[in-house]
Amino acid sequence: MKIPYGWVREFVDDLRLSPQDAADRLVNAGIEVASVTPLAPPGLRGAVIGEIEAIERELDESRGHRLVLCRVRAGKGERFSVVSGAPNTRAGARAAFAPPGATLPGLGVVAAKKIHGVESQGILCSERELGIGDEHEAGLLLLDGDAPVGGDLARHLGLDDHVLEIEITPNRPDCLSVLGVARELAALTGARLRPPRIRMTEGPARARDLARVRIEAPELCSRYTVRVIDGVRVAPSPAWMQARLRAAGLRPISNVVDVTNYVLWELGHPLHAFDHATVADATIVVRRAREGERFTTLDGLVRTLDPGMCVIADPQRAIGLAGVMGGRNSEVTASTTRVLLESAYFDPAATRRTSRTLGLKTDAAYRFERGADIEGLVGAGVRAAALIAELGGGTVARGMLDAYPRKRRPVRVRLRMSRVQRVLGVAPPPATARRILTGLQLPVRTRGRDLEVDVPSFRRDLAIEDDLVEEVIRVWGYDRIPTTFGRGDVALARGSETGRQERLVREILVGAGLAECVTYAFSDPVRSAALGASRALKLLNPLSQDAAALREHPLEGLLGVVATNLSRQQASVRVFELCRTYEAAPGGDTDTAEPRWAVVALAGARAEAGWHTPATKVDVFDAKGVAELVVAGFGLTPTTRLGGALAGFEPDSHATLLVGDAVVGEFGEVAASARAAYGVEVPVFAAALRLDGVLPTAPRTPRHDPVPRFPAVQRDMAFALGERPVTADAIAGAIRGEAGPLLRGLAVFDVFPLPDGRRSIAFRLTFQADDRTLTDDEVNAIHARVAQRVCAALGLTLRGAS
Amino acid sequence: MSHPRVEAVAGEARSAIERAASSAELEAIRVKYLGRSGDLTQILKSLGALSAEERPQVGAAANEAKRELEALLESRLEGARATERRRQRERERPDLTLPGRRPPRGVVHPLTRVQDEVVRIFAGLGFSVAEGPEIETDAYNFEALNIPKDHPARDMQDTFYLSPETLLRTHTSPVQIRTMRAQKPPVRIIVPGTVYRRDADITHSPMFHQVEGLAVDTNVTMADLKGTLTLFAQEMFGPRSKIRFRPSFFPFTEPSAEVDVLCFLCAGAGCRVCSQSGWLEILGSGMVHPRVLQNVGYDPEQVTGWAFGMGIERIAMLKYGVDDIRLFFENDLRFLRQFA
Repeated sequence: MKIPYGWVREFVDDLRLSPQDAADRLVNAGIEVASVTPLAPPGLRGAVIGEIEAIERELDESRGHRLVLCRVRAGKGERFSVVSGAPNTRAGARAAFAPPGATLPGLGVVAAKKIHGVESQGILCSERELGIGDEHEAGLLLLDGDAPVGGDLARHLGLDDHVLEIEITPNRPDCLSVLGVARELAALTGARLRPPRIRMTEGPARARDLARVRIEAPELCSRYTVRVIDGVRVAPSPAWMQARLRAAGLRPISNVVDVTNYVLWELGHPLHAFDHATVADATIVVRRAREGERFTTLDGLVRTLDPGMCVIADPQRAIGLAGVMGGRNSEVTASTTRVLLESAYFDPAATRRTSRTLGLKTDAAYRFERGADIEGLVGAGVRAAALIAELGGGTVARGMLDAYPRKRRPVRVRLRMSRVQRVLGVAPPPATARRILTGLQLPVRTRGRDLEVDVPSFRRDLAIEDDLVEEVIRVWGYDRIPTTFGRGDVALARGSETGRQERLVREILVGAGLAECVTYAFSDPVRSAALGASRALKLLNPLSQDAAALREHPLEGLLGVVATNLSRQQASVRVFELCRTYEAAPGGDTDTAEPRWAVVALAGARAEAGWHTPATKVDVFDAKGVAELVVAGFGLTPTTRLGGALAGFEPDSHATLLVGDAVVGEFGEVAASARAAYGVEVPVFAAALRLDGVLPTAPRTPRHDPVPRFPAVQRDMAFALGERPVTADAIAGAIRGEAGPLLRGLAVFDVFPLPDGRRSIAFRLTFQADDRTLTDDEVNAIHARVAQRVCAALGLTLRGAS
Repeated sequence: MSHPRVEAVAGEARSAIERAASSAELEAIRVKYLGRSGDLTQILKSLGALSAEERPQVGAAANEAKRELEALLESRLEGARATERRRQRERERPDLTLPGRRPPRGVVHPLTRVQDEVVRIFAGLGFSVAEGPEIETDAYNFEALNIPKDHPARDMQDTFYLSPETLLRTHTSPVQIRTMRAQKPPVRIIVPGTVYRRDADITHSPMFHQVEGLAVDTNVTMADLKGTLTLFAQEMFGPRSKIRFRPSFFPFTEPSAEVDVLCFLCAGAGCRVCSQSGWLEILGSGMVHPRVLQNVGYDPEQVTGWAFGMGIERIAMLKYGVDDIRLFFENDLRFLRQFA
């Protein structure tokens, strides 16, 4: 909200703070001031009030404008010859004038220059040339006949002021006005607050003979008052009021409407003026809207209402949308003579719902939804009625119609100084606290060692004792709060178990050379469908359609990362993410579950190729190896089962890792169709490990086994696979089963195709005993037995055996 | 003792050794003179043919010459081999300016780094880590925190909804409620987590991370809050760091304070990052609102508490000089590797 500082100063005696200092004080008391800007447009300097003494001669026509040469007086004895093409140039007029040496926004320094062969000493200016408005075609900015010739134009127009852009927190609607800001500044500086003096003369006619009010929805409208002003002539409002409204960022409309806006800015209460002649039976009915009721608001749009909304109506039809916007059918027009002025209180929550449902944000709604001043609205009505009568030449009818079905209950809050100390760790002397509260216009009584405040109606935010604690400290100064460290008992601080588990996973993956990523939990339904996602939780109000759901498949984020990096010429993408997926799951507070995952994606080169490292591409065993590394980090040894539950993998390159019978994760090559949806053209190998389940969250304490003291013996064993598909895992299992306890290590060290098309697979067996050195004979015997039995059981041929 | 016949052979051998230029030549000399059919060996083998008188003289001289030549050969060979080894290495000398064979290095995401650091500092101050779900109820996210429906305070946190009653948490504060409902005071927790607000520009991300702290006990004051946050700032931003409190409004704290930290780039002198103010706004805080304590079944006359919440992205942006929040979620490897 734009608050002209000069206006604030009118309401505080002796406020000597500069606009910037005032803003700093407000900020330090919790009233956010976003900016302090001079009202005069930047670049306007030296313009004065000039008088066109005479039009000396006519010049040519230029671009459809008749050019004239004028003699302009600007101050004592200063005369200038000025060329003007403005249609409203006439002798005797006073107008904005920029003499040579003045600067104009956009034009820079004004200098004498030749126009159509005649020297023009300066420029007679339009609003637009001065940078203070859009008007240009109508011609010069003309000033009143009593404007002081040679006087500073900016000052004369009230532009020698600064505007504070106030941004209040939702609890302080009382600061949404010039008076409210003045009240704060008075309290902060100790200066005296001088609210606007309101004088109103009432005429003989009685308001209650001219109008009636009936509230049918007291839960939506606790109070509705009406003043009637008769004999009003609608016209533009005077220059001073227009200047003020412009300074506040409002557009002047007519004297009646301008007054309601002026009082809104000055006192903070929204008002509405109806044309009395349009109100049937001169009767105001405040009621709920009917389901589907159609209503045209002032902005000309037809709105469809519902019974949660409050309307101002006459006995026949709605004439206003309560607290939000007036109606087309009852607005004040040039022909209005009798004004019915509303000053009311509407329910904050209902006003907010109405405003949001209709997408109609107005200054009035902004205030009502934060809470208006149910007592102060009377003064606002008087102020506005008096101004309308004054500016429109009318008479205020005697009395006010006041429907007030739900009277505000007095709010009395006690403040114990001991509580101040307890909450803050410091407290001012009671007299200081009392002075602070009084300065904020809060009526205070001393009650023993404590204080008691009768909270005025404009401070709806003050409801409990701690609210007053805050009032005291924010005025006394937050910098007076000392720095202490408490005296809590020593207690064990516990880390999070899942956090510890995730840290271990992260350490392993970073150690393996992968980069950690953090991706949005939002999901693009089109892309994730390519990963087989179909049950994603959807947002009711997404920011965009490509972020309309939540991650269902653990790989969604990383595939995006792979695409981004490949498209940016990264040759090797090795990334991981610790993330959640989101799914419906009956139970809990929300019927949802958020399983955690560690996800790995690899694409492109295995490592940066170098003079010593040939360029090789990652394959599915890189993904598997990384996954195994993580599982091994928890002291577990996974086994592999072909296939898996997650969609999005190539069926022939997809497997599940198990610990015992429990699934710990899956890995494989990402399906070409899935990666294509993310714009990835090269193979991507991925693994997804479940963090809730098999991988323990409790810390693992490794147990020590004695290091073998006797030498190990190694033997190799190579098989040629037959027609029957046999997996490496099956062969290894068979070897282990046959070899017995002396087999301590088993590794696949070679896999290659034989010339006849069969596949060869070679194992290295390590034998060792704890209590003796094994003899060759002993080992050879086991080796021969194992080879023979495994070949027989699985239909393999032992290679290198004759 | 010498003998002309022996001396003739030995002298020849000595000068051959003297002339030899390589270990190979020296080996050849050994064979020629001392080998199985070498010249000196021949003399020794033919002793039997000599007269009894001559035999001992020649034998002694030959044996001595053999020892002498062997020693001489050995020492020359050692030198020659060393020279040859040196030459060999010289020829094969590796170019150590070639790049090394580096094991791949991974990197922790910058947001994780900052979050871990914040959590570590508070763990050191005796705070336990608590966590909670990202999908929350309206009741936990708002109502229990004194933010009723249709209240303008909800504008402060534009919310993603999954249904009228379920939403993506807009702050980590619902974990306060969950923790306090599950345990009696004293409570000292630190809550890291992902949160969501319907907002997107270069300083706002619809998904971001917060760390929240909460302390509730019989004797907890706003001064303690200031003290704790001062320690935090000094650990996080350097020992000369300072903080200042400004009044603010959060529905779940009363009184409430915005906390600024002395700009660590200009030490308060004023720079572009702190908009010439010398201070950086880093977190919101305050004393737990009595109504929030009541909502979890605590008695605000018995216990008081304080809470604070900070945005991890905000701190990471300030600390690392990142000016666009979206970089954190783009995961460009060239960006991420800068945090290795």
